[in-house]
Amino acid sequence: MRAFLTGLAAFAITFLIAHFVVLSALPGKIMSTVRGQMVERGMPVHAWAMSPRVTPESQPVVRPSPDLAYAICLIDLSNGPVELSVPAWPEYGSLSIFEADTDNVYAGSLDARAQGTPGIRRVIVALEGQDLYQYGEAEQVIVSKPEALALIRRLAPSQAAYEAAAALIPASRCAPL
Amino acid sequence: MRIVVLLIGGVLGLAAGAVTALFAAGMFGAGAGFSDEINVNGWKSDWTIGSTAANPWTRARVARHGLLALTKEEAVYFTKGVDEDGQRLSEDCRYEVSGGDMPGLWWSVTLYDAQSYLPLNKDNAPSFDKTKAAATSDGSAWSFTVAADGPETGNWVSSRNAGTFDLMLRIYKPTPELIATPEDVLPAPVIKRLSCGGAA
Repeated sequence: MRAFLTGLAAFAITFLIAHFVVLSALPGKIMSTVRGQMVERGMPVHAWAMSPRVTPESQPVVRPSPDLAYAICLIDLSNGPVELSVPAWPEYGSLSIFEADTDNVYAGSLDARAQGTPGIRRVIVALEGQDLYQYGEAEQVIVSKPEALALIRRLAPSQAAYEAAAALIPASRCAPL
Repeated sequence: MRIVVLLIGGVLGLAAGAVTALFAAGMFGAGAGFSDEINVNGWKSDWTIGSTAANPWTRARVARHGLLALTKEEAVYFTKGVDEDGQRLSEDCRYEVSGGDMPGLWWSVTLYDAQSYLPLNKDNAPSFDKTKAAATSDGSAWSFTVAADGPETGNWVSSRNAGTFDLMLRIYKPTPELIATPEDVLPAPVIKRLSCGGAA
């Protein structure tokens, strides 16, 4: 009986440890895998890359919205803060930033119709402790790990709208300061 | 003897803990099923999606089935994988989905297969949205057919090659009222099964 209880206790303790270790590691692992796949496909770090229009044959991540035009910038803050600047869009649009563990730590509107949306949204992304005092005017987003990801969504349900969204990428910036 | 029992219990515990974590994250098994914290006539959501407030199970499930999801202030996501009779949505059946104006800036309903991808077909009919609703009515009452073959007339979302699937309702820039009391504010779309297996 005592041996059985000992085994049961070992089972319970290791079950809980394994469950939460695996559960906690999964988001970061999935994000890291997706990032690695993007790099393998030739996506550069610190540059906006327009994703192909979403179709069944072209799905960069799970559950992509076929009505949106996506652009992604892979961020690496190891050598200092990164500046994002993105033009507004005449319909729904957003600029969002994701931590390495998948948390959405920032979302700003790109919808030119919305009150308060600037013509060009400028955001500085930095690690905790990195010096930002000279960049006072821009919005500042602090993340906990060097690898982050920025994403532009623009409502573009037609090929023409997608091409218009793509035409804004050269006027957008994602680069170290 | 005691050490052997400890080892067996420990190894079994590690294996069971890891497998149940993978299952809870939706690494195998069907559908998104983020959480049923919010349930409006079967349309399920969780307001912590994408946020730092998400619990480990929700965060892992979102990473697997909804990576790069936005927080509720920017967008909310509802999924439903059954019809009004509680039957699993299937490519073998035809459905009519109907609803009204949604409490947000823009919305869409998109069909995803059990692996959370758009089904592989060339029908160019993966979703229905506010723009299409406004083009065919005043936007306050709309409907579309979900089927593997398109209807002769009307709006259509293709389920060809989807197997069992779910529908995801996205509402961008949701109203504060929707976030505060979704059960009272969301006009949950109705998914009515019309026929299955070619039967009328």
